Amino acid sequence: MALSTTVSQKKQIKRRAPRGFLKRVFKLQKPHLRLEKSSDLLVHLSCLLFVHRLAEESRTNACENKCGIINKEHVLAAAKLTSCREGHKEE
Amino acid sequence: MADHSTHREPTPRTLLRRVLDTADPRTPRRRRSARVGAQRALLETPSSRRLRSQTKMTAGGNPHGTKSSGRLVHAQASGHLEEQTPRTLLKNILLTAPESSILKPKSVVKPVPAPQVVPPSRRESSRGSPELQLPEPEPPTTLVPALLAPGRRKQRLRLSVFQQGVDQELPVSQEPRGNADASSLTSSLNLTFATPLQPQSVQRPGLARRPATRRAVDLGAFLQDLRDTSLASPNIVLEETQPFSQPLVGRSPGMRLSLPLPSHMRAKDTERATSRKTRSSGPAPRNSSPGKPAQFLAGKAEEVNALALGFPNTSSSISGPGVEPLQDGVGEEAEKRMEEEEKGLSLSEVKEATGARGPSGVEEPEGYMEVTEAEGSLGAVEAEEPEGSSEDEETSGRTASPELVSSTPEFLQPKQLHQLLEPAPPPGAAILSSEPLEPVSARLHPRPRAIGPRPRQDPYKTGLSHYAKLFSFYAKMPMEKKALEIVEKCLDKYFRHLCDDLEAFAAHAGRRTIKPEDLELLMRRQGLVTDQVSLHVLVERNLPLEYRQLLIPCAFSGNSVFPAQ
Repeated sequence: MALSTTVSQKKQIKRRAPRGFLKRVFKLQKPHLRLEKSSDLLVHLSCLLFVHRLAEESRTNACENKCGIINKEHVLAAAKLTSCREGHKEE
Repeated sequence: MADHSTHREPTPRTLLRRVLDTADPRTPRRRRSARVGAQRALLETPSSRRLRSQTKMTAGGNPHGTKSSGRLVHAQASGHLEEQTPRTLLKNILLTAPESSILKPKSVVKPVPAPQVVPPSRRESSRGSPELQLPEPEPPTTLVPALLAPGRRKQRLRLSVFQQGVDQELPVSQEPRGNADASSLTSSLNLTFATPLQPQSVQRPGLARRPATRRAVDLGAFLQDLRDTSLASPNIVLEETQPFSQPLVGRSPGMRLSLPLPSHMRAKDTERATSRKTRSSGPAPRNSSPGKPAQFLAGKAEEVNALALGFPNTSSSISGPGVEPLQDGVGEEAEKRMEEEEKGLSLSEVKEATGARGPSGVEEPEGYMEVTEAEGSLGAVEAEEPEGSSEDEETSGRTASPELVSSTPEFLQPKQLHQLLEPAPPPGAAILSSEPLEPVSARLHPRPRAIGPRPRQDPYKTGLSHYAKLFSFYAKMPMEKKALEIVEKCLDKYFRHLCDDLEAFAAHAGRRTIKPEDLELLMRRQGLVTDQVSLHVLVERNLPLEYRQLLIPCAFSGNSVFPAQ
């Protein structure tokens, strides 16, 4: 399992899914439910994609404002969009 | 043969000597091989005769008995085995002879008789045990010539003793007789007598070598001990609580760093004063462990100076009711210090230092406060003493308090704070207003609280921060720290939302377990999975290979699919 991958961004990203963390959080939230074996990986996948979308949105916002740095306003706006979009799509 | 005639009335000694002289390892074999039958007959007769007579001295049988198997081979055997069998003679010799001598020859004897004829070999071996001494010359040269020589000498000596005590070593002789490796066994016997003791002795230390169990420091008992030992020297006090030596060592530099900022720490000084008071008792015993009185002294001096600065500042800067409580708190501390010093329970060294500097710094405020607050502070002090009660000791406690303020092991702090704050407020309520307590408690609470829920938050935070880092990676742009915090919040909300959705999906399917189908449905609703983009595609894109193997069923050799569907 690749613990980290060296990216061109000089950042080392952990590709491993924190399965224990996910399972524990799910248990805390819904103790009466169980997670299947591979389900937590898919949960991790969904979180990854969510974060990905958030990042894209916030980057777009920051670029629109011509800021070199992502501010919390950008992130907040992006979060609103993403969550609204999710809710809308679910409906 | 001439031997026969001469040996009609042999003494054991002469017999044995003859045996030794005629040492010929090969003779028995040769002769036996030549006269197996004769030997057997001879052997049988001696054995029978052995049963009859076990006396040592006999004329006829002696030569044969004393002789080794080789001797038996001698023609003598035919007629001279009536009275005493060689075997019995040898037995007796063995009995009288020291074990060591017996042992050597036995080991030596054993290999020699072994290859010989079986029936005679048995008896020979049995005889060999008694015959140890005799056959020495025989087997021996091939095996252990070195042993033979000493053995011979020993034998001769034993011969003299041979007549004296037969019964002494009966048990010893019996064993070697029966054992094939008699010599070795007897030697082992000797050793065995000793060896059992050794392992036991070894075992005991092993069992006794239990890891010293650390006894948790009992605050109450410790404090009482501290009180009792009025002469608590710094070393003793400091050494007692070992576990906390290190943290305090680390603290002292921190303490020093914090102290040099009295200017803007005035407010904090007052807080510290109150907090010190409450904390001093608790942390004192623990703080005392690290043996660095010098640092404490220095710290205390600094602290006193800070206080000295603080007192006039507080008195001047703060006005109204705030002054009194603050002053009370400060005064109490000063009072305590004075009391402690007066009691002489504090470290001698500290006393001196504090005495030198303390009075200078403390006297002033005391002069302000003593009259008004003496009684009240005393009461408060006394009330607090029993609680915290390390005050008796210290200066180290006092110095510890600023240390605590600056940096302290959190695990110590919260406990101490809890202990001290809880009892402190009630007695301190009369004297201390809520004001000094509040800032102190407010400041102190985060620490104890941080420790309680820490196991919950920290891993949770670390898990979320993991995704936050991914966020910053995906963004490909520098980010603010606060933006990351927002990302974490969003992630938290998203996770809760996700759990609820999954629960709904599973309930819809009548299940209590979340399955990948639920997840796929979720992602479909999110718009991630479409008819064009399947879940597997997403898995392939975003997850590492190992996870992909787990999630996407793949056909393997042997008509097997993993993961199984």
